[in-house]
Order: sequence, then structure tokens, then C-alpha cells
Amino acid sequence: MAKHPDKKKWAEIAEKELKGKSPESLNWQSPEGITIKPLYTSEDLEGIDFIDSLPGFDPFVRGPRATMYTLRPWTIRQYAGFSSAKESNEFYKRNLAAGQKGLSVAFDLATHRGYDSDHPRVIGDVGKAGVPIDSVEDMKILFNEIPLDKMSVSMTMNGAVLPVLAGYIVAAEEQGVSQEKLTGTIQNDILKEYLTRNTYIYPPEPSMRIVSDIIGYCSEHMPKYNTVSISGYHMMEAGADSVLQTAFTIADGIEYVRAALNAGLDIDAFAPRLSFFFGVGMNFFMEIAMLRAARYLWADLMKQFNPKSQKSLMLRTHVQTSGWSLTQQDPYNNIVRTTLEALAAALGGTQSLHTNAFDEAVSLPTDLSARVARNTQIIIQEESQVTRVVDPLAGSYYVESLTSEIVKKARALIDEVEELGGMTKAIVAGMPKMRIEEAAARRQAKIDQGKEVIVGVNKYKVEDEVPIEVREISEAVRDNQVAWINQIKEKRDAAEVKRCLEAITNCAESGGNLLEVCIPAVRARATVGEISDAMEKVFGRYTATTQCISGVYAGEYQDDEIIVSIRKRTEQFMEKRGRRPRILLTKMGQDGHDRGIKVVATAYADLGFDVDISPMFQTPEEASKMAIENDVHVVGVSSLAGAHKILVPQLIESLKSQGAGDILIVVGGIIPPGDYEFLFNAGVTNVFGPGTMVTDSANQVLNALEKKG
Amino acid sequence: MIETDPKYYVDGVLEGNRKALSKTITLIESALPSHQKLTHEVLDALLPHTGNSIRLGITGVPGVGKSTFIESLGLRLIEEEHQVAILAVDPSSAKSGGSIMGDKTRMEKLSADPRAFIRPSPAGRTLGGVARKTRESILVCEAAGFDVVMVETVGVGQSEYSVASMVDFFLVLLLAGAGDELQGIKRGIIEIADAIAVNKADGNNIENAANAKAAYENALHMMAPASPVWQPPVMTCSALTMTGIDAIWHNVLEHRHLMQQAGEFDRKRREQAMDWFLYLLDEGLKEWFYQLPDVKEMLPGIRRQITDGRTTAMAGARRLLETLSTMLQNDS
Repeated sequence: MAKHPDKKKWAEIAEKELKGKSPESLNWQSPEGITIKPLYTSEDLEGIDFIDSLPGFDPFVRGPRATMYTLRPWTIRQYAGFSSAKESNEFYKRNLAAGQKGLSVAFDLATHRGYDSDHPRVIGDVGKAGVPIDSVEDMKILFNEIPLDKMSVSMTMNGAVLPVLAGYIVAAEEQGVSQEKLTGTIQNDILKEYLTRNTYIYPPEPSMRIVSDIIGYCSEHMPKYNTVSISGYHMMEAGADSVLQTAFTIADGIEYVRAALNAGLDIDAFAPRLSFFFGVGMNFFMEIAMLRAARYLWADLMKQFNPKSQKSLMLRTHVQTSGWSLTQQDPYNNIVRTTLEALAAALGGTQSLHTNAFDEAVSLPTDLSARVARNTQIIIQEESQVTRVVDPLAGSYYVESLTSEIVKKARALIDEVEELGGMTKAIVAGMPKMRIEEAAARRQAKIDQGKEVIVGVNKYKVEDEVPIEVREISEAVRDNQVAWINQIKEKRDAAEVKRCLEAITNCAESGGNLLEVCIPAVRARATVGEISDAMEKVFGRYTATTQCISGVYAGEYQDDEIIVSIRKRTEQFMEKRGRRPRILLTKMGQDGHDRGIKVVATAYADLGFDVDISPMFQTPEEASKMAIENDVHVVGVSSLAGAHKILVPQLIESLKSQGAGDILIVVGGIIPPGDYEFLFNAGVTNVFGPGTMVTDSANQVLNALEKKG
Repeated sequence: MIETDPKYYVDGVLEGNRKALSKTITLIESALPSHQKLTHEVLDALLPHTGNSIRLGITGVPGVGKSTFIESLGLRLIEEEHQVAILAVDPSSAKSGGSIMGDKTRMEKLSADPRAFIRPSPAGRTLGGVARKTRESILVCEAAGFDVVMVETVGVGQSEYSVASMVDFFLVLLLAGAGDELQGIKRGIIEIADAIAVNKADGNNIENAANAKAAYENALHMMAPASPVWQPPVMTCSALTMTGIDAIWHNVLEHRHLMQQAGEFDRKRREQAMDWFLYLLDEGLKEWFYQLPDVKEMLPGIRRQITDGRTTAMAGARRLLETLSTMLQNDS
């Protein structure tokens, strides 16, 4: 038994400083449900089994490599893509020249969902939140003058993963680079799409087959390529705390391992090529501990599959700083936030890092904001000297204790998932999504009450904001892209395309490796949409089921004054009008980010509104049909992917043409301040940007309704 | 903004205008006395155009797959050129009074199809109340030309009794397994079912569903059927793979045919009308009673006396009713 300092003595003095209150009054309950004490001592290290471990050794808490950043710092890998392949390519080349080390491609939502740019359901989405890829010709332009045998490329693609990965392989091939030389990562993490971002195409089961087909193909032909990037980032962005993020991400990973084993693969042939992707937010030490805990859990859980190679136990990860922590208000503060998050990622031992640009709460980064974001990392690496020592926080009573707490709590949650039969089944049962949404609603309520401080949003607000310059995507992008597809379709050998597509449908139906049959189709210039359709014939398209929690938002307030006062208003509204204020919340286009709309739905219902939720991915016509049938007073449009300028006016037009122009329209989400005027002119009543308190927005909606009479 | 001219509603509904139909349902559901008066005028004018649909009630516990089932059946019916209307009753929060209506997220194709009309309604704080209004909404849908009207309700409260009393065919959806045979659904619900379907009979669950079907058949055999011409069948179905959906619809039609042949169909609708009449009378009496100035004056005092133990419940009620009865006699 080690000797511990006498905490009683400390408590006595502390109590004096606290004027008689006990030191326990300083305890803080973290969102994870961990009690954070004001003081940690060597006593808190008792019983922690990894305390004397070394970096590069199982359980890898201190890092997957022995030397970590002392030999080579993490890879600066900035995620980007917008407008067109040509513009994105130029942007990449400028960034590489300025010190970026790896590429990370952002695709537009049309591509994610397997639609070509000429599809009627994507009119608002082409080129908005990423680069549109319709055929290998776009892929070739995207990587023009970027040698794919030297550059490691990460691609965030899950839905249309087969045509996109095949496109990358063929683009390299036509550059003269053979498959086995390719390095980089395909996200290929479909499970989390059902939890948060909704950029899937097919139902979970065929999607899991696609994942294992890719793992299978790459372990044979692309040995240096990371076949899955198991992602917790999107869960964090959807509201998950560190324990939820860790547990569900590791559980997803275990599910992929089982799928690959069931497909007959050898554990050591593929497990070392699985990589991770975590999100890091503002709770500095918690984030550091989370990355350390995740490495421990992975090493521990992978042992059940009896790998022979230590590499199969090793969790390697990419990290992105939190987009949710960024604010539209006083946006330069975001540089500071991102710096802290980046430092936490480094102290947690990440292998690569993306730092967000300060303007990303309102739009895509400009060249200036992208430079600041990149330099944030370079300054930490080259000026701060934090890379001189491996895992410098090891031995910290607080960090080690926190690491151990996260391990315990996450393991309990993983056990719960296992009891449901693994992550696929848990997702079908809806458990992980509900947990994340509960956490999101609770947190929103904390922020709205000012219990969680966000500078510039709920504290130290700035009166006269100076607008920042934002990047605009030209509306001509889609027209150009459509003309370009038609040109490609004219030149290609139609019979060959047809033959290749039929081969894909057959393979989907009767077995075989899907990536293998997609490659010839891409060579023949079949499009992303055509290849996706060829599989959809067999697999079908997945429809999300929306479950909603209730009572959580108001519960966090404990019937605070503000809640009571809004409930009174909705009640009065009913007495006057004969029914409650009724609002339809809808997401149009291919933007699947539904955290915000879910939080608003549950909060509004708690405030006494009748809330209708539309299915995801609506066209403006579908949304207007629903608004009319449900006879709502207000339609609330959530837009996070830049399609608002096209889709909102179309919705208003569609309502007017059916005599329902009296329905109010409010818009929430990521809307550049410069677009507010445009939306007001189109007939929008209110725009609610990031950081709007839900209670404020509810009061404003009620004001607008009362004003209308 | 609510239109006050009954002609707007009547003409619109008869023309099949969606917006007018939707506004009429809003009017029916409104709690304002002035709206209720307008509602009666509108309904009176529409009444000759009602009665021509197949009225189908569907219930089941949350998670049984009601909405997905309706999506599958509805899509199939519109392919057969049916005009399908769906009225869904969603529970409201007792605390805030608000509600979240997400039925259409599980009816993605049907809700986007111009041939289908789907209207979710919040139950409000009193479940019985909205169900009462659903009956009138059915009539409006019929007047608008819909020949199949489905009413969806959550099978955990009392609303399904009212729904069963306003439809021709009442379908109860259940799930296989989970141990408890009736899964929180009250036994009484099974007694009023015209058919039971074990949903989610797909994939690994087919055998479980078949076992559950046998168990429910046994349970049903011990109950006396509500009609001599119809023994409620137990079926299995999968809204996901579309199996068994046709068979259920076939049963609905068969039921209608047999009931009509035996004269039961009209008898049932007449009975429902009678129940409806008595219910309205009950409700109307209560409403009238509590609004009487004398009642308003006496009630608080008697309540206080009961609370304080100065009088018994029985004596209090008798005193109020007797005083009132004397007063009414003196008036006349």
C-alpha cells in the first residue's frame, strides 16, 4: 500500500476558504455522469491497472507508438471539398503548398446519397457541403497533379462508398498508380450513419455486407489502405458525451470485426487496417482522457478474437475539433476554442488532426479561415514544444483517474449493447440514438439556461457584430455538372456500361465481391447514381424511423419560470384559437443532420406546441403537402448544408400555389448572415442561427403568430 | 385564421380540395364553442355524402409497426385505385399538453403520394375527446371522396374502444414473443378485434410469429365472437416484406361481404349510431348541467363540505340533484 497525503488536513483548510461549506460543495457532475472533485491525489490511482504501462505496448493507453510525436508529429489533415472538382483540386494544391500533409475529401450530399447531380431530389445540394462526384472523370480532376502514390487521401464516404472508392482506384490507375501503392482511409462506417448523420442509402444488413466486401477486397489488393474509419465524431456532434461517444464507437468497431470474421477473413489480415475517428470538444481533460480510455478499451475487447499481431489491438485515430462548439456569434472566439481542442487532441495522442475554421458555424471556410485553422496545428507542433515528450499527462492523478472512469462507464454501456445482440441490433432497436438525443436535449437545456457557458452566446454577448466574409457557392455549379454528365454519357460505350451495371445487380443478388464488380463499371464511365441504382434494385433504399424523446428538455429546467411562461402562452393560444400552436419541422434535400431538429421538436412539445415531424430528405412539394394536410400554423425548416436559398423559396411557392400562403415559415440552422435578408424577402418570418436559445425561438414564433392574428 | 363561411368548407370538401378538407378537420377538432357551431352546420350539409367508405381501425402498442403497416397497405390500395385517407391519433404530454407527431416519418412513400391523405391529430389531455372528433373526421373524408378510411390509434389507453365503435373492421396488431401474451394490451381489446395480425413475421422471426399466431388462436377460441357470421381470424404479416398484407385486406372485404349478406353490416352501423347518440347525449347533459348558474353557485360549497367531512358524498350529490330538480319543476 502506497502512502497517501493526508486529505483531512487539506479539507480543513479548504473548508475555511469556503467559509464553512464542505469541499464536496465544489464537486461538479460532468455530462458523462462523472463526479469531478476539486482535488485528486495519489489515492485516486489505487487499483488502476494501466498506470505503469508504456507507450507502444498493450493496452496502448499512452499511445500506439513508442516514440509518438518525439519522432514525428501527428498528420495535419484538413477536411475540405466544395463547389466542383476543379475548384476543390486548386484549393487542395494551395493547402499542400502551405504545409498541410494529407488530403481529406468532403463530398457533397448528393454524392453521399448515391444521386447524380441531375437527379430531381438534389437540386439544392450539388456542390454545397462538399465536392460533387458523378463519374471517374470528376475524380481525375479532383486529384489532378496530386500524385496518389505519395499522397495519403482520406475520403469521408459511407453511403455511396463503392462507386466512390472504385472511382479513386480507377483515377489512380489512370494516373499510372497501381492499387497496392494507395495509402489513406475510406470512412466506410455505415453504422453511425443510422445513428446520426443519415447519409446512408441501403438498409443496415446489405450495408454491412458492403463494409465487409471492402475490407475483404482491400486486405487482398490494397495492404496499406485503411478500410474503415470507425467514427465517433458525428455522435459527439449529435450531442453524445465522451462516454457515449467512446462506447458506441468501440461497439461499432467490434461489430465490423465480427462482420469481417463472418466473411471468412483472418483477424490479423484486416484488424490493423481499421482506424478510428473521434471528435474532441471543450471539456479539456475529459477529451484527453477519452482518447486514452478508447485505446485501452479497444485493446482489451479485441483480445476476445485471439489476434496474434499486437497491431490488431492498437487503436489509431484521427481527430476533428468540434463543429458544435463553434458559434456564429463573435466568431473569432472560435479560433481559441479550436486551439484548446487541438491541444487536447495532441495531449490525448491522436495520429492525425483536422482543425475547424472559425467561420464554419455559418459557411464553408474561406482561404483565410482555412489558413488560420491549419496554422493552429503548425503552431502547436512547431512553437509550443508539447511534442517533445510522449504522453506528458501520464501520472496526473486527475487524468489517470478520469481515464479509468471513462473506461468503466463506457464498458458498462458496451455490455448493454452486447446484451441487445451487438450494435446492428441495438441500432434497429433504437437504443443508441435515443441515448444520444437525450444527451443532446439535456445539454441544450443547460446552455439555454446559462448553466453551461458559451461566451458570446449566453454570456458576454456582443451588441454590434461585424459580419465576416463567407464563401458562396455559385448556383451555376449544378448546371455545369449536369452538362458535364451528359457529355460523358454521350462519349461512353453504352452497351459496356449496361453490361457492367447488370453485373453489379447480379452480384448484389447472388453474392461475390461488390467492389470488384464496381471497378470495371467505373472504368466504363458508369456514374455514381447508376451504380447505386444497380444495387438499390436488390437492396432497396432505407427509410429512417424517427423516434422522439419527450420531457427531457423541460425536465432539465425543473419547471423553471421561462418554461412555465411559455406553456402559459401556448395554453392561452389554445383558449383563443381552439387548438395549440402547431408547427411542422422539416428537413429538405439530402441534408441528414437531424440533431438540431430533434432537440427543437422535443423542446417545443415540452413547451406545449403540437409538433409534426416530416420524414427526412423531403422535396419542397412533399413538405408543403404535409404542412397543408396537417394544417399547421408554422413550418420550421432546418438547414445545415447550404441548400436553403434554393429550397426555402420553392417551399413558399408551393404553399402559395395551393392557397396556403398564410402558413408562417421560420428557418433554423447554418445560415450565413448575408442570406438572412434574402430569406426575409422570400417570405421567411424568422431565421434562427446556431446559438439561438430554443426558448427564445419559441417566444419569437409565438410573437409572429400573435402578430398575424 | 379560420374561415367562418360554412360554404367554404362544404364546397371545398365536396370538390375534394385537400386544404379545405384539412381545414374542416381543424374546425371539427377546435375547442371553441363558435367553431363547434360552425362544425355542426358543415357536417349537416356534408352528411348526405357520407357513409360510402370502408372504415378500418388499427391499433397496437408503440413499436408494433402500425405506421409501417399502414404504409404498406395504403400503397397497395392506391395501386388498386382506392382513395385512401388515414387519421392518426397521437398521445399528448399530460404535463405540457403538447405532442410530437412523427407517424409520417414511417409513411415516407404514402405521405408523399398525392393519392393519399394523412392527418395526425394530437389526442390532447383527454383521450376520449379527440376520438369523438375522429368519428366526424371520418365523415368528412368520405364526403371528400375517400373510399377507404383508416384510423390509427395507440393501443394503451381507452381511445381504441371509441375507435372500435366508429369503424367497420377493427384490426389489432401484435408482436410475437416477448413472453407476456397480450403485451400490455388489455384483454378487452382482443374481444373487440375483428382480426388479429402478428406483425414483423420476417427474417428470424417467422417461426416465433407462427407460434404466437397459434397461441392467440387458442385465446380467441375461448371468447364468444361478437357476430354470428364472423369468427375473428389470427394472421401473420410483415409490413417490411409486404407478406400477409393482401390476406388481411382480403379478410376486410370478406368480412364486409358476409356482414352485408347477413344484414349485420347495417345493424352494426345503426348500433354505432345509437351508441354515438347516447354518448353525445351524456356529454351534452353534463355540459349543460355544469353550466347552470345554480350548479355553479352550489357546487363549490358542497365540495367544501365533503372535503371537511361535514357531509357524505352520497348526501351531497343527492342534495344538489334534488334542489335542482325542484327548481326546474317550479320553472315549468
